[in-house]
Amino acid sequence: MTLIATGLTDIGTRRVSNQDAIAWHTCPDGTRALGIVADGMGGYKGGEIASQVAVNVITQALAPLVNQPPMDDDSRVDAIRNAVRDANEQIQALREEDPVLGNMGTTVVLAWIQGSDALVAHIGDSRCYHLDGTRLTLKTRDDTVVQNMIDDGSIDASEAPRMPFRNVLTQALGSSETAEPTFCRLQMAPGDRLLLCSDGLTEAVPEADWPHLMQPQTPLRQQADALVHISLENQAADNVSVVLILKES
Amino acid sequence: MAALSHLVDNLVVTTFELDGPRVRIGRHPDNTIQIDEISVSARHAFIDVEPNAYLEGTTDYYITDNDSTNGTFVNDIRIDGRQRLNHNDVVRIGWNLFRFVDEEENTLEKTAFILEE
Repeated sequence: MTLIATGLTDIGTRRVSNQDAIAWHTCPDGTRALGIVADGMGGYKGGEIASQVAVNVITQALAPLVNQPPMDDDSRVDAIRNAVRDANEQIQALREEDPVLGNMGTTVVLAWIQGSDALVAHIGDSRCYHLDGTRLTLKTRDDTVVQNMIDDGSIDASEAPRMPFRNVLTQALGSSETAEPTFCRLQMAPGDRLLLCSDGLTEAVPEADWPHLMQPQTPLRQQADALVHISLENQAADNVSVVLILKES
Repeated sequence: MAALSHLVDNLVVTTFELDGPRVRIGRHPDNTIQIDEISVSARHAFIDVEPNAYLEGTTDYYITDNDSTNGTFVNDIRIDGRQRLNHNDVVRIGWNLFRFVDEEENTLEKTAFILEE
């Protein structure tokens, strides 16, 4: 019962740069894994830098811990908070150094799995889904103005794609002095998969289509390929990124 | 400020600015926007103009059908309850067509950005 991870990112069909960054890591015996997706913004240069800094800082902090024996929940939460805070500080420092990068920021979603315990943290609108057989469940709540309006009943979820400010985040790494990720936990049974993605995927391919693009008998890499491929076929306007983690049966 | 442009044969004949907090639409003379036409109910619909609770400087426009006989439609779908209007939505009051115009929306459409704290 080991964990397998893979990932793929693509510029999409209309952007001039890929502002997404991804990383994944599994420990040598395959019982622990880390996946991360970041979606940068703030000019094409700033967006690339912000997401790459976030992924690098967080991976460098957490990958060594994933290689160590299992840690308790509190320690993992502390480690993630510290890594996110460091990434936030580094992005803010870069913003202050160079006016061109003055408004850059990034989302981040990460999953740290130990055996069957998955701990997920996110800031912004990059998402984590749990795929149990063909049942797909969204585990994160977008930090967006539109999500707030759905939650307070101002609009229906079906209206979200038409909203003019659907891209406005209420929280992002680099945009304020504090960055507090939201955590959620879930149990992974053998055969379950976790999907981390940027909004390029959710905007290009309806969620209902995902399970059949991710047939469990196909290699994990092919599942990631299929999701990105269909996004490009659908003329994905944004960068598209996925990281998949499978708990083998 | 957003506006409702009355369309006849796809041409704008009158433009009504939507000055809140509530713009009433109907056949009766006491409405803010009076449409003296048989398919329009006396007090047909209203538009609430509200500041967005999460995005400073943004105004939301919500249309509600007031139990009219012939209905209120947004982009050809009859509304049931309150619905937020987006730039270029086509609003039908009975048989009367309007275009909802909110130029301020365009600046928000183009860029992804973050609320700075």
